[in-house]
Formats: sequence, C-alpha cells, structure tokens
Amino acid sequence: MTKISKLTAAILMAGFSGSSWAAQSGVDDLILSVPGLMPSAVLEMSDEPGLWFKDPVDGDALVVLKPKQAAMIKMTDTNTEHTITSLLWPAGAENFPVDQEKPSSASVTQAFDKPGLYVFTCKVHPYMFGAVVVDDPDTKGLDIGKELQLVTGAKVPASSDIAKRLLRTFFVATTPSLWRDYSKPEWDVSLPDIPLNIEGNTISLSALSMTMPNELKKPATPGVGEVWVNTQFEMIEGKKKAGTATRINTGDWNVVSKFKGVKEDMNNPHNMWTDKRYQNIYQTAWFDKKLLTFDRVSGQTYSEVVVGESPSHVISRPSDDMLYVAINAGEQVVKMTGGKNPSAQKSINTGPHTSPHGHYITEDSKYMVTPNALAGSVSVVDLNTDTNTEIPTGGVIPIAVWGTPNGSTAYAANLLGTPPLLSSLTVIDIPGKKKLKDINLAADYDPVTGKISGEAYGLLPIQTPVSPDGKYVVTANTLSATVTIVDTATNKVVKSLPCEPGCHGAHFGMKKGGGYYAYVASKFANDLIVIDMDKLEVAGRVLLSDLKDGSITAHNGMGGQGILPLPIVEHGYLKETLKLSGKGELSPEVEGWLNALTPEQKGI
Amino acid sequence: MKAAKLDSGQLAYQMVTHKIRDASGQTEDITHQYSTEPTIPGPAIMMTEGDKAEVTLEQDIKGSNEPVSIHVHGVHYKMDSDGTMKVFNHTADQAAFPGKPYTYKWTAAPGTAGTWPYHDHAFGNPMLGAEDKGLYGTLIINPKGGKVSAMIDGQIKQVDLKDIKREFILWMHETTFWGMELNHLANRQVPLWTNPTIGAREDELVRFHVIGIGTAFHTFHLHGHRWIQPGTSHLVDTVNIGPIVREAFVIKAGEGVGPGNWHYHCHVLQHMQSGMMGGFRVIEN
Ligand SMILES: [Cu+2]
Repeated sequence: MTKISKLTAAILMAGFSGSSWAAQSGVDDLILSVPGLMPSAVLEMSDEPGLWFKDPVDGDALVVLKPKQAAMIKMTDTNTEHTITSLLWPAGAENFPVDQEKPSSASVTQAFDKPGLYVFTCKVHPYMFGAVVVDDPDTKGLDIGKELQLVTGAKVPASSDIAKRLLRTFFVATTPSLWRDYSKPEWDVSLPDIPLNIEGNTISLSALSMTMPNELKKPATPGVGEVWVNTQFEMIEGKKKAGTATRINTGDWNVVSKFKGVKEDMNNPHNMWTDKRYQNIYQTAWFDKKLLTFDRVSGQTYSEVVVGESPSHVISRPSDDMLYVAINAGEQVVKMTGGKNPSAQKSINTGPHTSPHGHYITEDSKYMVTPNALAGSVSVVDLNTDTNTEIPTGGVIPIAVWGTPNGSTAYAANLLGTPPLLSSLTVIDIPGKKKLKDINLAADYDPVTGKISGEAYGLLPIQTPVSPDGKYVVTANTLSATVTIVDTATNKVVKSLPCEPGCHGAHFGMKKGGGYYAYVASKFANDLIVIDMDKLEVAGRVLLSDLKDGSITAHNGMGGQGILPLPIVEHGYLKETLKLSGKGELSPEVEGWLNALTPEQKGI
Repeated sequence: MKAAKLDSGQLAYQMVTHKIRDASGQTEDITHQYSTEPTIPGPAIMMTEGDKAEVTLEQDIKGSNEPVSIHVHGVHYKMDSDGTMKVFNHTADQAAFPGKPYTYKWTAAPGTAGTWPYHDHAFGNPMLGAEDKGLYGTLIINPKGGKVSAMIDGQIKQVDLKDIKREFILWMHETTFWGMELNHLANRQVPLWTNPTIGAREDELVRFHVIGIGTAFHTFHLHGHRWIQPGTSHLVDTVNIGPIVREAFVIKAGEGVGPGNWHYHCHVLQHMQSGMMGGFRVIEN
C-alpha cells in the first residue's frame, strides 16, 4: 500500500516542498500577466479496477496537497466519457463542489484552500473514487476536516459514523489488496497507524481496521439452471481492459466457465440479458461503447457493435425480443434487433442530460422505465409509440429500477438518496406516470452515532429487483454492505441482511422444488450471496473465482455487478420461452430447466 | 536541455544552459532568460533564418530508465536528429538515456520562419512519446528580414520584430491552455501554467503563438481583436487548432477597442465549460 507510505511521507515532508512559480510574475512590474494554477498533483482517470483516479507518481488514487495548491484531474487511459464530480468536501471550501454536468473527456484544474478530505467520483460510474487530502502542515495529523459536505447537500461531522464509513470505503474501493477475497480464511482490512486530524482530535487511521472470517457455504437446496455474474474487475492474461462474465451451475453451485471476450477486451462488462431461446448473451461494456453478443454455451463471440458511450444495461421487450440498451453517458436508449448480430433501429431520447442507467421493461411489453442518473428523474416510455414522459423525482443519481409483475409500480433506487433522505427508493405509478412516494431505506440508522435501531439500514442502494411474485423489493446497498428487503404491501423495509463491500448486483432465480432465490453480487468481494426468499435468510455464499484458471492474472472473481439467472424468473418473459418448449426450438438443457419448474414458477 | 519529472508526476523540459555565437565568433550566455525549473510548455527556443542550433538533451526523469527525445518541426535536420527510435527510423535510437545525453542539430533554413512545436517522440511504450504528459515546447524562427506582416491600425504592415515587447505562447491541450510569456522588456521567459491571464499595455505590439497538442480539436478565439492569417489578407478573430497546428499573429493591444479584460477561450463549448479560457488584460497607457 504505497498510499499509506505516502500519507506518512506527506506528514514528514510537510513544509519542505512546493514551488513559488505562481508568485513570480508579481515581482517584476514589466510583466503584466498573471499565471494560472500550476498543478502540484495530477489524478489521471483510467479504466483500471481500483485506480480509476490514478496519481502518476505512485499509482495510487489519493494525493496529498498543502492549502492553496492545485491538482489537475484528467481523463487519460479510458475508452469512454466521465464526469469529474465532488462526492464530499470540507464544508465551506472555496470553489466547491466541482461538478461536471455532462459526461465528456474534459479535465479540471482546481485549487484547494481548506484543509480536509475531498473525494471525487464520476456520476456515470459512481464507484470510481479519487481523493485529495489537503493537509495543513501546522496541525497535528493528516487533516480530514471538521464538517464534511456531501454532494446531496447534507453536512455531517467528520467524526460521524457515515463519514468514517465513506473513508473506509474509499480505502477499500481503491486498494485491490483490501478487497474481500473468499478464497482466503479471513478478510483483513488492516490500515496502518497514521494520525488523522478529525475535528481537531487526532485519531489513528488504524481505528478503521477490521477483520472478519470468510465462510463460504453452498445452499442446501439447489437452484434451477444457471447464474451469470459480471465479474467486472477480473484481469485476464493478454487483455488490457478488465472484466469477464462468470457462469455458475446452480445444481452444484460451481463455476462452469468464464466468458473472457475471446479476442476482444470487454472493458468492464456491466450487465447482461438473453433472448427467449437462451442462446445469446448480450453483454454491455460499461467503460466502452460496445454491446457484445456471445453464445451462452460455447462462449463464441458472435458480434461486437458500437452502441454509444458507456452502455450500462440491456434488456429485451418480451413481446418481440427486441433489445433496449441504456446509453449511460448519453441521453438515450438504443432499440436494437436481437439475434447474433444486433443492429440499431432507433434511438429513444430520454431527455436532456438524463444518462439512463439500469432500466426496466414491463412484462406486458407496454412500458420502459429508465432511471435518469444525471437528471434526478425517471422516464416512462410508451413502447408502442416510443414517447417519453420524464418524471422529476428529486432523487440524486437514480441508478436502477424494476417493476411489479402486473406492470403497475416501479421502484427506483436513488444512489445518493432523495434529500433530505440519505437513502431512498422512489415508488412510481407506471401507467399513471407519476411519483407516488419515497421509501426511506435508512430510517433505522443514525448517521452520526452509527446506531442501528431496526431493519431499515441500507446506504447507497443500487440494483433493486422486484420478486417475481410481486411481494418484495430486494435492494443491494453498496455503502452499508447490506441487502434491504421491502414488502410491497406496506412499502416498508422488513429485513436487512449482511452483504459485502461494494454490494451491487441483485436478481432472482428459481429454487428447485418451488420458490425463489435472490442472488446478490458485490464489487469488492468474490462471492455470490444466495438469499432464500421463502425465509428471507441467507442460504449460502458461493465463490466466483476460479482458482484453477491460470489465465486470470488479478482480481479473481472480483467486481460482481450485473446478474442474469436463467431461466428468467419474470413470468411475462418466461411465458415466451415456455411457448417454444417441446417444439425443438430450445436446447435439451433449457428444456430440462423448464421441466424442473413448478406450476407457480411457470406462472400458471 | 533536460527532461525531468515535476512533483505532480507530469514531465517537462528545462533549459540547462543556452549559449549563442554570432558570426564574428563572439559568444553570449542567455541561460538567465529561462525559467530555473522545468515548465509546461518547455523552454521557447528562438532562432533566426540562417541560424544553426545544437541541442543536447539529458534524461533526468526520476525513477525512469526510458529514453526521451526531441522531435522538432519546421527546421531542417539530418536523419540522426529526427528524435525517433530505431523501431521507426530503422537506423538508431535518437534519444537520451539516463547518463547518456543525445545531441540534435537543426538548421533554420531560409523559408522556415514561423512558430513550430518540438516534443518527445520516444518516452514510454510504444515509443510514441510523452507529449501528453507535458514534454512539448515551442521553437520560434524569425525571418531573416526581421519583419512580419500584421494588420495594424486597419492596414497590413510589415512590423519590425524589435518593436514587439511581449509574446504570448498558448498551448491548447485537452481542455486546458498552458501558457508562457516571452517578455522582451524584462528579457525573460515567464511560465504562466494553466489558463492564465495575459497582460499588455494599450497600443503595445504583442505576438501570439497558439499551438495544439494531444488529440482534441480546438477553436481559439480572442475577444475584441482580429488579425490577418499569415500569408493571406484574411481578417479573423478565430482559428481552428488541431493537434500540432499552430497560428502566430501580431496585434496592437486594445486597437480600436481600448483597454479592458478581453476574454480568450476555446470556442468548443464543452472545452470552454471545462474552464479552457483566460483573460487578455490590456492596461490603459
Ligand atoms: Cu464514468
């Protein structure tokens, strides 16, 4: 961890380095020019897991400056567009926040006046983190600050539970050696003894350390079919960019294979979908511009099509198997033909500066709902006319959405809440095209003391599917590392279950003999959590890494994001596949899966 | 010259010593005109048509054994001064390694007058050069006759270079201007870093050198002032600047518009929104 040695060095070196160029012009009255900022540090944005903001000096995601120094943040080694946005900063800092409205490749040079912690992110890829610590050499310890302001408008004391949580998350997210590796007996987040100055008190960084046992457990009851998980950070020999899709057999809970993109770099494969025959897997490359189509069984790549900047999610419309790809760094969803070689038919505009992310199509094929990450809105698109109704919701970075089987209601996860709510789901009336209410996912959490007084404890929600029976909304919460389960009858959190650092992807699959599992994947851990939806309990934890595969060079099984369990559980989708059953159109393997389903699972 | 690493991790060129010898054999040391630190853009080297230069480059990049070079535009040179690696020139590595400087020979032949870029063509893999990290600078070749044409007081005139007191170099890279002033009154080069405010007195003749580097295309626009594009009689206040495209022009500060804080910026909206702009401060006489 060079980051840590740098922190130490910064404390020791305080007051020794620095340049006086900026002051030079004033000394000579013949010179009338006034120099601009000279960056004392640079953060180069990259596609590299953990090092999304990379200091070229030592390859870390953190730089230490002195007050009045400047840093340049620029997009260097990345195949897509981003925003440079302040996630948090010391309250009252001059010229803050930095917030690029729109994804682009533009750089920022920024001076920092106030000592404290400044965290930057990208609003399109909101786990890309980089930090600047502005340290006053005259105070003891490295300055974190007194009061931190969050991009949502909330101000929290730097000693609060949520501030410490964000600090620890920053260290874990940007340091791959601190990711939770389930192939080892325990998870050891050991941070060194670096003095931090928090609200004037000196606290050691090592106070944020922790150790937990890593226990894997195969669920006692098998599932039906298979689960695909985007292991988005896995590095493969010979490839410059990260990411694979891991295929798990739910019969024995073992890794079957990994799709590595054959000759293509997948560049952060984020989310998948399939056709009604379960023959093709459609795969988005989130840090790129491509949709990849490959054969589910053989892994052969059929096509690679450029669709737009940062395609995030892909889903089909059940009635005609057409594909809809959300262009996360754009303002549209691209409608495409399905099959081995999808081709774009139409671009459905979701509104200015929308950046749609994890969208949803109702099972009756009538509507598409998009969470518009940069617009604080949700769009309902009538798919018969492709007309868009944008509903402002007040949510900050609405990132994923899913709906009830009857197509009446959608739940949108707001990554950064709906001010003043720190963490929320917005409930949308789909045909009525209006917001109904917000559900507070963190109602039982005190952000200052960290006290948890009930089940509602979910911070920074991401994927949020609705169970195929319409009873529950399961939400992966990335900051609290919890899964919250909302009862749709009451719109209240009824259960909070433990998840992993960077808890992110969630979806439902079939349980053998009836009922459903929820599968949850996490970015900074290499296990898949299996939740029994009949008991609302964790049924098991399955390893996503393949320790026998020598071509995996780093981050084995890490980066869990999109999840695609097959057969698809949603009855509106499943019925299209069932129609093909017994007609020689499906593979024997798929026929076998369908035969294993109970009438309820089939939606009969 | 040397190539070095800045505290920020960016790379930059620095002039170590610069001596000039005139026709009579008299030498003069002009090192004091340069910044004593590495700068982005690198030192501006001025020559006149007919001059020859020998430029020795040292690799002084902390923590790196990679070769670094100078590939120059505009002037004439032999193959061994191309500043490329053997993989490109099929002859030899024309680059400096740590402890092994490399010398380039340039001739500012007649007809080469103008503003030219120089940049690294060797550092990093695949030896394409680290210009993106800051290894670039300016070569200004003045015409033998000592005069350049410019639109002054509404007329195209031949301006005597001796009457130009300030020259502003503005490199357009990504969404940032990196500036340098050649101040002939103080006889020194002043690094202006990012998106600076440049300043002159009203009615002074000043020369601008605007150059692009990197991959982006820019549109340089200066408010309140217009100039003729070299070799033409076209009057413009905006020019397109692509990678390694350059534009040099002379204006009279505040001509017809008076003093003020005149804006300059990239007219690509997204670049401008990212702060790719500065001021041209014209002070009342
Ligand atoms: Cu991004």
